[in-house]
Amino acid sequence: MSSDNKKWFSLNIGRKNQETSSSCSCGKQSGGCGGHDHEEIKHIEERKDGFEQVFDVKMNRRSAFKQLAASLAIGAGAVSTSCSMFSDDESKEKAQIDWEEQFKGNYKLMTDEEKKATVDRLVRSYQLRTGKTISMSSKNAEENVLFGYAFNISKCQGYMDCVSACVEENNQDRNSQMQYIRIHEMKDGNGFNFNESDDNYYHEVPAEGHFYMGTQCFHCDNPPCVNVCPVQATWREDDGLVVVDYDWCVGCRYCMAACPYDGRRFNWSKPEVPEEEINKNQHYLGNRLRKKGVMEKCTFCVQRSRAGKNPACVEACPTGARIFGNLLDPNSTIRWVLENKKVFRLREDLGTEPKFWYFMD
Amino acid sequence: MRRFKVFKSLVRDSLDTITQGSRKYHLWMAALTFMMLVGMYCYSIQLDEGLSVTGMTDRVSWGLYISNFTFLVGVAAAAVMLVMPTYVLKDIDFKQAVLIGEGLAVAALVMCLAFVIADMGGPSVLWHMIPEIGVFNFPNSMLTWDVLVLNGYLFINITIPLYILFRHYQGKEAKSKVYIPGAFISVFWAVAIHLVTAFLYQGLQARPFWNNALLGPRFLASAFAAGPALIILVLAVIRSSTSFKIQDKTIKKIAMVVTVAAQINLIMLISELFKEFYAPTHHSESAYYLFFGLHGKDALLPWIWTAIPLNILATVILTFHKLRNNFKVLYFACFILFIAIWIEKGFGLIVPGFIPGPYGKIAEYIPTGIEIGVTLGIWALGAFVFTILAKTAIGIEIGKLRYKK
Amino acid sequence: MNNHSIHRVVCISFIVLLFFSCKHGDGEYHGVTDKIKAKSENYHGTSLSSEPYLEGVETIEITEGEHSFLIPERKSQIKSFACTECHSKPLSQLQSKDGKKAHWDIKLHHANENTMNCVTCHDGNDMNNLKSLTGNSIDFNNSYNLCNQCHTKQFEDWKGGAHGKRIGGWAPPRASMTCVNCHNPHKPHFETRWPARFNTQIIKERE
Repeated sequence: MSSDNKKWFSLNIGRKNQETSSSCSCGKQSGGCGGHDHEEIKHIEERKDGFEQVFDVKMNRRSAFKQLAASLAIGAGAVSTSCSMFSDDESKEKAQIDWEEQFKGNYKLMTDEEKKATVDRLVRSYQLRTGKTISMSSKNAEENVLFGYAFNISKCQGYMDCVSACVEENNQDRNSQMQYIRIHEMKDGNGFNFNESDDNYYHEVPAEGHFYMGTQCFHCDNPPCVNVCPVQATWREDDGLVVVDYDWCVGCRYCMAACPYDGRRFNWSKPEVPEEEINKNQHYLGNRLRKKGVMEKCTFCVQRSRAGKNPACVEACPTGARIFGNLLDPNSTIRWVLENKKVFRLREDLGTEPKFWYFMD
Repeated sequence: MRRFKVFKSLVRDSLDTITQGSRKYHLWMAALTFMMLVGMYCYSIQLDEGLSVTGMTDRVSWGLYISNFTFLVGVAAAAVMLVMPTYVLKDIDFKQAVLIGEGLAVAALVMCLAFVIADMGGPSVLWHMIPEIGVFNFPNSMLTWDVLVLNGYLFINITIPLYILFRHYQGKEAKSKVYIPGAFISVFWAVAIHLVTAFLYQGLQARPFWNNALLGPRFLASAFAAGPALIILVLAVIRSSTSFKIQDKTIKKIAMVVTVAAQINLIMLISELFKEFYAPTHHSESAYYLFFGLHGKDALLPWIWTAIPLNILATVILTFHKLRNNFKVLYFACFILFIAIWIEKGFGLIVPGFIPGPYGKIAEYIPTGIEIGVTLGIWALGAFVFTILAKTAIGIEIGKLRYKK
Repeated sequence: MNNHSIHRVVCISFIVLLFFSCKHGDGEYHGVTDKIKAKSENYHGTSLSSEPYLEGVETIEITEGEHSFLIPERKSQIKSFACTECHSKPLSQLQSKDGKKAHWDIKLHHANENTMNCVTCHDGNDMNNLKSLTGNSIDFNNSYNLCNQCHTKQFEDWKGGAHGKRIGGWAPPRASMTCVNCHNPHKPHFETRWPARFNTQIIKERE
């Protein structure tokens, strides 16, 4: 984690740029150049894993930090599990995983190995707790991809199939009925008047004299939520997705105040999803199970979109009102829409540059 | 080595002082302790269940905690109103009041930090916010600026009085060469903490109610009214219950500060109201909600319509010399001004910022019992910290506490 | 005097620097549209493909104008295809009393009676194919050619991708639903129905 590949400012008091210990002769960051045998990769993982990533500074300071971290752990209660009598290997492993998870670094700054390690830990932890296996991906942004979304206001009929599919796909809390998508029912003749719209209707749709407009996270290219986060727990990935590291978020909700589009949701209590309804195809930045007190939001279903699939809302929409694709591909359908339809975005005057366009037939 | 010994003795002596006192004092401390315990109990429930036990929702995502935080930053900043004349302008009048003021700043800052922590969804991962160990999003996030300036201000406000008291404790004069630079910094710093806190809100294009250029100056004006008003009240209590002498002249001078600040604050309020209601735009809806209610939702009306008349009344009283120089009237005016600004800058600022939501939806906010419990607990903590600090400081200043060789 | 102005310049440049160092982390582009334009100039594809998600869907490739994409194959999806299995005799004979009733459930709700009836699209003489307004034969698989005779605007949107739902994923190759996959040709409008969800928590929140 040398500081010269950081694209942001950070306080750098007394820390000299040092050669990353895991870089190899080809100049790439760890693991990229091949020639590592399995042992060696594992060695790197052990050396640079978890909270050591952030403590990877000079030795004397490092040990001091470790002590500090340990005392913090007592406060966090994590230590209570690890200090209890180890009844068997499993609880020992569980305690070990909890410990490493509590003190791991920010996902944004992790190397691919570290990302894989934390994902493996989470999968193992879930297995230990429930006996069930999930698959979790740590797939990075694909090159030459910038995701964009277009919404056809003329087509949407207000069925809310997208909302349903989203909740099921993304393992959102069922108790608080968290939903990323809102469908606004607007009166014909009032224009886009959100004040007089209804986003929680329950009657046969489409209702006479109304039209429908969906909102969700717009994955702004200049996202105000990312700027304000004090710990960089939310950021814009290279493929344009604005994501949250649920484990790094401290829950201050500043991003929520900064979002002009109501794109963010907070876990006010422990989110619960019935075991049989859990979507087990997960991504670290996407629909993995969250904990209480952290932010979450639409990720354009990162677990699906990074695999080439459409987000769940696009797939569920029976009217084809939702169009998703790669903005950098000149032959993509989203590009055709942007170039040939009269598109607009919400509150463009705020300079947030959303990657979510509306258009009409 | 000697200094260390003196310090040890100072700690021991101050422990003695704060554990001894009149019956009233003990009752006061017991009540505060009880309230803190209740607050801790409420907080433990909040930790266990999550922030869902508060009245906050996705719609209004900051509530009582952040309201109090915002207000108390102002109180802390106001200590500078006493520091500046005393240390920098060498005005002897304020000398006695300044230690109290700085103690108040420390207590207010402790409360600020406690409120921020109470508001966090994940207090166990707060170490993510520590520079170098975690990831500190500086300078992009105003919250990181706030963390820096608040802690810096806390540091300054602890060290300056500590140095002065430490010297006095040994029966020596404090060297002005040492504390004057600190005092200078603290003057700028106090303005900074409040401006930065205002920028925290002002910088959000998503919230038009906050996103106006007057917010920062208005924060300062209201802080310099509410903070010294509180100091006057505290000095009044200290005057009547201890042998610490505070001259009438001192209180009158602080009252002058309160008056000017309150007047400026009122002018800014008028300017804001004019802008919102003379040519109302879509962005004035929050103000409409605050003052008149919107679509039948009017939870804040009783609050703001208490605050505005109190604010005006207090400012009018303070403006007339005759009334202001009557201490009973002055205390009353300070009290209602304090309450008015607490409402205006807490509830009246934070909650309407979220209402109506981005898509015009209104979900009202009413704090729950647990939230109020935690809040009272933190106020009790602040009062507790202040009492301890003030008691020690007074003990040293009146010569009761001295280092025995 | 000189000292003074130097001082001022330093101060101002410092402040300017401070402002520019904040926020403008990637100010290379004026907006996302510029970014798209610049970055897609040397676009050379991705490693992703939606082919795996198209498995099990029989598709045919069509080329219309400059657009080339996949649509689901239709004939195998029609229950009683080929039509000539029943329609071995001319219609007039089949409609006589002794014949088995068929298609009794089909009622045409498409435009009005003046504009359309069965033979606007179906060819009584060649039941296995559709026919255009001018009498040309149209394959069932390419039935969109029938629709685009009137719905020219929708056809343009469909070719480009603004109308008609994608199948599989966003990644190439593109596969889109064809008209009849979403619209019943005999009754092309969407039905009204109840929304899939109702959020009771929001009601509580806004009380």
